[in-house]
Amino acid sequence: MLVIALCKGRLLDPSLELLNRAAIRFDDDVSLSRKLIFESTDRRYRAILVKPADVPTYVEYGAADIGIAGRDVLLESHADVLQPLDLGFGYCKIAVAGPKGEQSINGSGHPTVRVATKYPRITMDHFNSRGIPVEIIPLSGSIELAPLIGLADRIVDVVETGRTLKENGLEILEVIAETTARLMLNRAGYQTKREEVLAFIQALENARR
Amino acid sequence: MKSYTQIPPGTQILIGRAARRRRVLERAICSVFEGWSYEEIIPPIFDYFDVFAKGMGAGQEEHIYRFIDREGNILALRPEFTSLVAKTVATRLASTPKPIRLFYSGEVLRFDKPKGGRQREFAQIGVEHYGGTRKTADVEILLIAVETFQRLGIQGFQINLGSVDFFGGIVDRMELPAEQIASLKDVLNIKDQSGLEALLQTLPIEDRRKNILRAVPHLTGGKTVIKEARGLVKNARSVEALDHLEEIYSIFEKLDLAQHLTIDLGEIRGFDYYTGILFRAYVRDLGFEVASGGRYDGLPAAFGEDLPAVGFTFILDRLEQIATPSLDTGDATAVPIHVDQGFAKALQLRQSGKVVKLCL
Repeated sequence: MLVIALCKGRLLDPSLELLNRAAIRFDDDVSLSRKLIFESTDRRYRAILVKPADVPTYVEYGAADIGIAGRDVLLESHADVLQPLDLGFGYCKIAVAGPKGEQSINGSGHPTVRVATKYPRITMDHFNSRGIPVEIIPLSGSIELAPLIGLADRIVDVVETGRTLKENGLEILEVIAETTARLMLNRAGYQTKREEVLAFIQALENARR
Repeated sequence: MKSYTQIPPGTQILIGRAARRRRVLERAICSVFEGWSYEEIIPPIFDYFDVFAKGMGAGQEEHIYRFIDREGNILALRPEFTSLVAKTVATRLASTPKPIRLFYSGEVLRFDKPKGGRQREFAQIGVEHYGGTRKTADVEILLIAVETFQRLGIQGFQINLGSVDFFGGIVDRMELPAEQIASLKDVLNIKDQSGLEALLQTLPIEDRRKNILRAVPHLTGGKTVIKEARGLVKNARSVEALDHLEEIYSIFEKLDLAQHLTIDLGEIRGFDYYTGILFRAYVRDLGFEVASGGRYDGLPAAFGEDLPAVGFTFILDRLEQIATPSLDTGDATAVPIHVDQGFAKALQLRQSGKVVKLCL
């Protein structure tokens, strides 16, 4: 039996829809149930529900053979996993944003830009690559609030439609990367459960056509 | 100073049963190595930093624990054995008849994120073969790895075999700058098709060559993979690598061991010192590799003696997490001796080889 780590949140429904098209279905309604472990009707798969940022960890350690999560969490985690497929859904931008009207990602007035983010690593790498000194302010939610009350000069976050930014008087200053849902595989599982894993990838590829 | 209760991240203490299990595993594996006429080498726990920097290659320095001696030399705690052994073979053992077969077992230190049972200090146990013919030595090394798994009673193991030269031969002709080759390796090593596609857009190479690179992540499986790969490449270096892998695979087939071997031409990860075959071993239900190895002909040359070299290393800390049914790591049953029975009784039992435990 293969274990698939799915992430709670915005990617869950499209992930389940893709699995459904690949004829991988579950007895319970995964998106409504409070359970965390689900078995597929054919008993070939077990799905587990975890926080998006944790999916690469489950897969890297082999607690799940397969994972579906955004490229953003992969970039942030640096987990050593195979990433064979871009599943195409869940498109977002990972961007530096700041108060409307600001021109650059440099903070106004401060020698070091204060950046609030859930993505400290992506943020650090990006500002380092530009040679801009940065102070990371790690937050786990409501990132848009930080510049409004003076906690930070800029934020780095995923932006889907830009509506939340707009409603809070913020705008994208620079796009760091684009993200979509990715399929990830544990390296050892890929070697030791090869046939099952390849059959799963094949089923997904067929479902996406 | 921090509290005594705090343990430095990346260290661990093995006590009693855990320590016994390590020693039993270690002895069992050493006996396999000795069975193939490998002799033990016990190198120092530290050496000059340059030895390791030269051996492991670019980008590894940050993982090495360094310190400075009284004369101002930079020393390092060994992050691996191969550089140390290669240096010894190329210098002290330069006039020793070849081939030279050596094994080692001991702790290494890497400033790394503790992961999958591998701490910053962890135990490696492995073999090195210097100065032999390429084909024979490669097969010998792989057979020793197989026997090690069998000796421990581990069933579901898989050796993932690739070659630095297959990919090397492909990119040699593209005349790309080193950074672009590194980026290519990065996306191929995670089999990232969309990342590869994005990178190919930026590379000034013909479509025919791009198609070869697109195929690389899929070149993994049994013997058919080699056939498939032959249809893609004509350059001598890649073709030679395929011939070599095919020979190894055929030998494994004849020995009825091919089920443990997977050819993976997309497998190009590893230290810079690898020059030919490259492999990693996995065990079902453990998420991380338990062994890795390959050919590193350039390494002895870096220390002054041009010699072919091949070897592998097991990570003992990971093997310890797997069931090893053929090893008895249980407790010996002790005969309880009450002090009033006298020490003479204890001595007598000890002389007959019994385990005794004095009770007060």
